[in-house]
Amino acid sequence: MARIVVDPITRIEGHLRIEAVVENGRISEAYSSGTMVRGFEKILKGRDPRDAWAFTERVCGVCTTVHALASVRAVEDGLGISVPRNAELIRNLMFCAQYCQDHAVHFYHLHALDWVDVVSALSADPKETSRIAQSISRWPKTSPAYFSDIQKRVKTFVESGQLGIFANGYWGHSAYRLPAEVNLLAVAHYLEALEWQKEIVKIHTIFGGKNPHPNYLVGGVPCSINLEEMNAINSERLNHVGQLIKDAIEFIEQVYIPDLMAIAGFYKDWGAIGGGLENYLSYGDLPTLGYNQPDSFKFPRGAILGRNLNEVHEVNGKDTEEIKEYITRSYYKYSGGDAQGLHPWSGETEFNYTGPKPPYDLLDVDNKYSWLKTPRWRDNPMEVGPLARLLVAYGKGHEEVQEVVNDALKRLNVPVTALFSTLGRTAARGLETQLVVQWMKGFYDDLVNNIKNGDTRTFNDANWEPSTWPSTCDGVGLTEAPRGALAHWIRIKDKVIDNYQLVVPSTWNASPKDHNGKRSAYEESLVGTPVANEDQPLEILRTVHSFDPCLACAVHLYDPDGKHIQQITVT
Amino acid sequence: MFSNNAPRILIVGIGNVLMGDEGVGVYVIRHLEKQTLPSDVACLDGGTGGFHLLEPMQQPERLVMVDATADGAPAGTVQRLQPRYSTDYPPTLCAHDIGLKDLLDSMYLLGTPPNVTLFAVSIDVPDGVGTELSPAVAGVVPEVAKQVMAEVKVGSRS
Repeated sequence: MARIVVDPITRIEGHLRIEAVVENGRISEAYSSGTMVRGFEKILKGRDPRDAWAFTERVCGVCTTVHALASVRAVEDGLGISVPRNAELIRNLMFCAQYCQDHAVHFYHLHALDWVDVVSALSADPKETSRIAQSISRWPKTSPAYFSDIQKRVKTFVESGQLGIFANGYWGHSAYRLPAEVNLLAVAHYLEALEWQKEIVKIHTIFGGKNPHPNYLVGGVPCSINLEEMNAINSERLNHVGQLIKDAIEFIEQVYIPDLMAIAGFYKDWGAIGGGLENYLSYGDLPTLGYNQPDSFKFPRGAILGRNLNEVHEVNGKDTEEIKEYITRSYYKYSGGDAQGLHPWSGETEFNYTGPKPPYDLLDVDNKYSWLKTPRWRDNPMEVGPLARLLVAYGKGHEEVQEVVNDALKRLNVPVTALFSTLGRTAARGLETQLVVQWMKGFYDDLVNNIKNGDTRTFNDANWEPSTWPSTCDGVGLTEAPRGALAHWIRIKDKVIDNYQLVVPSTWNASPKDHNGKRSAYEESLVGTPVANEDQPLEILRTVHSFDPCLACAVHLYDPDGKHIQQITVT
Repeated sequence: MFSNNAPRILIVGIGNVLMGDEGVGVYVIRHLEKQTLPSDVACLDGGTGGFHLLEPMQQPERLVMVDATADGAPAGTVQRLQPRYSTDYPPTLCAHDIGLKDLLDSMYLLGTPPNVTLFAVSIDVPDGVGTELSPAVAGVVPEVAKQVMAEVKVGSRS
């Protein structure tokens, strides 16, 4: 039986390979493989735990801040440090800014072209695009001349074939269903989103001192607050942040959400495709009363099994019976044998590549076939990400979440089961952005009020000095990266890192089968997916991209086959 | 001079310092940061920055970039290139998640095509993660920095 191979599957440079078996136009089996060696944990052994964030932050260029946050939390948890209220608020502001930027970039730049046919946009009537734009939003840039100008600009690039972004699509595929005019609208907003995302990340520069890779600090945040001081968080900088948040609310509410709803309306059948696993995990995040008070989180913590939203299970990152990583199908070996699952505190990172020598045609799927380990929660495969976060919140009776979700279902006129799908995943990302951008405003107002009331503390120096540390301690830093549950586990011994393990969102979602032969999220979601044209498996991209794969943080090196030597212009 | 504190020429080092030689671009920036640069020139540790780099890279008139390439040449080989489109760029090791090429494509789309001089340092394919450069690549860091300085001094007006 023929197996379709998609490698790489990320539209951007990627390290994820999917092999899918298609029978009678539908996928009957799928294999997801991380094709780069991972083993980042080895770098951290023996280092000062207070420096770990700076290394982990470099793991990923997309979510630069989230690994730093998970890391400082892990160390603070281990050493019993709590951060001042202002530090919590500033971390939350950076978190929200990251969500807004990352989700909008995902929608417009990594996922939209799975639904939007750029070439079709070239034949659109700009007047009709203008009419549609004005009917769905009060966003000002909607004149026919504006869309006509965009159309001309994009036409030049599409015809020249010089831009990879537009050269690599399956344009004209029968699964593209938007009218040309809606395609043009989306392409225009693709460009506007590029411009807008430059603004929102300035929040990282303001609070983190630099961007990319802003600074973090164990015990707080590395910026001081002084309204009169040039080099501190002063009135001018705070006002700038306030303006950036205001602009973000407008962009999300007037561009992202209307586009999401308009496009979703043409693809309602994808509300019944790509559901996959029935289990969802969220560590929760955005504390309002401290990291140790998960009940105070804006995104609640919990797990759902069998899509039963009436029961949300407690999740504890420290319970060594809950989260375990298996390597039955992963290129690693465990000292106690490959059959066992290890909690990350006792995690091991020993490579054991047994796959075919690259370049190869097919993975050896009967044996180990991925550089990703296989994490399980109470031995269950779990989906993580925006959909998991919203479902856990929904199940826990979170009113704001229930309201936006119910409203979206009503507007699209789809049943609640449509949530468990490719469309549901993509919609969930937008809906949570709508909430996050409003929460960001709330955190900002709280910060400004705190400062007005005379509280300028951003750092707690308790237990900063290693002389105060116990001889050994363990910590876990749980967070929600934009693409899902992320955690770092640390073991500190004799003042240095003794063990450090990361379990990243794409490991939960993209991992291979487990010791029981159970598929992980990508694989399960692909089974049953229709494929109209095996040479152009657009449908596979839709579902896998709906998870927002980010494999560089799941895997760190890749093995080039050397065939891709491009022409170099030497002058 | 220039407005908004943006430099006229920006030197950007790209790479992942957790991947050994792949991070050579960032090491060159760290080397240059210890030196006195012309007043209209600035350095940026681009790390694995992706779209976060769009604004800083759009503002200057010229970009001088330093990046690793796995082009099969002996490790430590340095080439000076003036690529136009992203398809002109040598193969990278692509630990940069949203690729540099996507970023450059975006600059064209937004009507701000970059004027780039690229110093591409050839590296072997690393066989694991690491926070150190290999001797062959570490040895050329000062030389690359020197060439970059010569490049920006020609272009600088100060």
